[in-house]
Amino acid sequence: MSILERFIEGWKKYRKPGYYDEFDYHWAMTIDLDQCTGCEACVTACQAENNLPIVGEKAFAEGREVKWIRIERYWEGEYPDIKLRFIPMLCQHCDAAPCETVCPVSATYHNQDGLNTQIYNRCIGTRSCAVYCPYEVRYFNFNDHHWDSPLEQQLNPDVTVREKGVMEKCTFCIQRIRQAKDDAKDDGRRRVRDGEVQPACVQTCPTQALVFGDRKDPESQVSKSLNNPRAYRVLEELNTDPSVVYLKKVDAKG
Amino acid sequence: MEPETNDPQYADIHRDVVRSIVETGPKYYAALATAIGVTLLCFFFPWFYQLYYGLGAAGVNHPQVWGTYLASFIFWIGLSHSGTLLSCVLHLSNSAWRKAMYRSAEAMTLFSLMVAATFVLVHLGRPWFIHWALPYPNQMEMWPNFRSPLLFDVMAIGTYLTGSSIFIYMGSIPDFAAVRDRTTGWRNTMYTLLSLGWRGTDTEWHRLHWAYTFLAVLIIPLAVSVHSIVSWDFALSIVPALHQTIFAPYFVVGAIFSGTAGIVTVMFVLRKYMEGFDQYITKVHFDNLGKLLLVLSLIWTYINVLELFTGWYSGTSTEYEALNYKLFGYYAPLYWEMILFCAVAPLLCISKRFRTSFVPMLILSIAVNIGMYTERFLIVGTSLSRQYLPDAWGVYVPSLVELSIILGSFALFVTLFLVFVKIFPSISMYEVKETMVIPAAEPVVPKEGSPT
Amino acid sequence: MTNYAVGLFQTPASALAAAGTLKGAGFTTPELMSPVPMEGVEEVLGEKKSVIKYFTFFGGLIGGLLGFLLAAGTAVLYVHPTGGRPIITFPPFLIITYEATILLGILFTVLGFFISARLPAIRERVYVPEAAVDKFVVTVACDDNERFKRAEAILSEAGAEQVREQSEED
Repeated sequence: MSILERFIEGWKKYRKPGYYDEFDYHWAMTIDLDQCTGCEACVTACQAENNLPIVGEKAFAEGREVKWIRIERYWEGEYPDIKLRFIPMLCQHCDAAPCETVCPVSATYHNQDGLNTQIYNRCIGTRSCAVYCPYEVRYFNFNDHHWDSPLEQQLNPDVTVREKGVMEKCTFCIQRIRQAKDDAKDDGRRRVRDGEVQPACVQTCPTQALVFGDRKDPESQVSKSLNNPRAYRVLEELNTDPSVVYLKKVDAKG
Repeated sequence: MEPETNDPQYADIHRDVVRSIVETGPKYYAALATAIGVTLLCFFFPWFYQLYYGLGAAGVNHPQVWGTYLASFIFWIGLSHSGTLLSCVLHLSNSAWRKAMYRSAEAMTLFSLMVAATFVLVHLGRPWFIHWALPYPNQMEMWPNFRSPLLFDVMAIGTYLTGSSIFIYMGSIPDFAAVRDRTTGWRNTMYTLLSLGWRGTDTEWHRLHWAYTFLAVLIIPLAVSVHSIVSWDFALSIVPALHQTIFAPYFVVGAIFSGTAGIVTVMFVLRKYMEGFDQYITKVHFDNLGKLLLVLSLIWTYINVLELFTGWYSGTSTEYEALNYKLFGYYAPLYWEMILFCAVAPLLCISKRFRTSFVPMLILSIAVNIGMYTERFLIVGTSLSRQYLPDAWGVYVPSLVELSIILGSFALFVTLFLVFVKIFPSISMYEVKETMVIPAAEPVVPKEGSPT
Repeated sequence: MTNYAVGLFQTPASALAAAGTLKGAGFTTPELMSPVPMEGVEEVLGEKKSVIKYFTFFGGLIGGLLGFLLAAGTAVLYVHPTGGRPIITFPPFLIITYEATILLGILFTVLGFFISARLPAIRERVYVPEAAVDKFVVTVACDDNERFKRAEAILSEAGAEQVREQSEED
């Protein structure tokens, strides 16, 4: 191929929005709000799996809690017709993520699995990504964290402990995804099968409201879930193209 | 031929300005010591505590991750637009009244930029890695992300710092040469080096004029772009109150507004504390600065009204919430204080008597700057408080560390300015001489009958 | 080591007249030194051409090119997909280009100034300290005493306060 042809090919590739022709895997999650009970087991599991800091009562009151997945609560109506709606909110791993473009040192980017990844080592803590995220799912480490003995024995060795000054957020348990891909490769270069990898929150949910899998595989549970007529995305009008799809709750009144 | 009036002569201004550099009294040392003390105590010590403890020392939380550090950063960059407007725009329009002020105004620009740069370091979570935002080849083979608005910031502010330093230096070369002749010792060596052997020949003046004019022509679009780019840190987000196209003009007008008020403050101080300067900085200057303040205040008010109107007209719930919160929410007292100081108070400048009185103008200029700082704080504070998801709403109160650092930054600026006054001639001698009556203005007529 | 006849004047008009006379009398082009830029020099001593504008222009051009290459080149060197945007995007890269244009324009203008004004002065040149304060000075190179006397006569007639002889080292 001549130099000109190579240049034109490269130009087309670099001008393509999103850059990837095709993801290797395209991880997605659906959350069935009809089955979610708001029990916050997913929050606890995430904290255990990903070495989330326990910030303490004072910091929590100041609004500095770190919860990669949080249950949002909205009250509707007046007594006695009060209704509580809750919705688990985690990083939506948007394909057109506003947080990725703003990092000056490229500490967050979209990888070939369709995940929005955060590189803790590179983060210098400008916190612009937290401002640009409309879902408010990015959390900052305002100080170094401390686990009282013997809680440090519970820390997950597969996940780093972040130092102060670094942003963090839900990674779809990328350490589990990586382990599953490694296992699949050892097993003879096959693809990761549906159900082999589940983030901590998905694994723990008692009502199986969370479903996780590869969107590219049409037979996977999550692909079928995405075709549900109740499916919607939060803040879809912002064109962030999230990978997390919610299934609308069916009201008692119909 | 004796000059008929008591107007200052060339030699007078020469003597006055050189004296301001060479003679130092105890009041200056006291001021410098205080400034350095307050800077260390209020800026550096709290910052070091924050470096040790983490950004938790500031009042920032989730979702209010940006706080007064960024507001201060924008405020100082805004102040830096003072020198640019006065120097470059008025130079190109050949105005005479700028000549006594522009050197100090340009110094204000330079030092405001330096203070703003330190605020970037204070604001970062891990400032020891700030060099990663600069494009240099490294072993990681990583480059900064040029698609990021913060990188536009890095380029723009870097260019602006370079441009401002060069601009103030170029304009001062003839003055360095003049001061060189009257100093001895280390000062003489310093000015000899700084003046590059300037002699004042016609060729040199001609070249300086052209270089200076080209620099002014380049720096004006640069200054407009710098603050526009800083505004795009906010406007390129999708936060409801920040994602507005009006932000670029809003910030530029606000910057020039607060910069002009800053010049009024600095001129008052120079006039009061430097001997002989009250002949060169007169009511005319305050009068014109007052007119400028009035015009800028009116434009600023207009832009604020635009924001409110378009937000209300859009009819979307997020816009309503943002506006409602700004006007009537937790920070409402600050909002109305800002309107009072920046939209209502400058209307006093309609009266010429007000404009030509020194102390009232000083009070107004300080009020305007307080109002403009509040505006920056509100831009950061009210917008991040109320975003799309109501569960993630929050309130932010600055901590003591932050307030102390804000105070310390002013002291840092004063320190830099005090050092400047003793090194640079703070009034541009040659330009003020240009406005003066030349001694014995009539040309000497050759004697009758002599061969020419 | 040339000798110069130096005349100090009170007003720019008289200094200009003296310089014109000197030029007409066949001396090498005199130099005018002053504390402020003087009007009307070009009519008397001939037009001055400035090359600084070429420096500015080419500086800007090179800056624009380098700015875009920096942004686009580094984006391609380490491909880092962000936000569903292309790798080479124009809106951000044009801003970088704009800033780099102005930066190099400024730097090249300074370079042009230094080159065309022949600063910094490495070798000694004739210098008259009064020119920095309030006198307008005409200096003209004089090879021998006879030329110096003629120059002195012209300068005094034009109204010089003081005429003296100086060389570069004074």
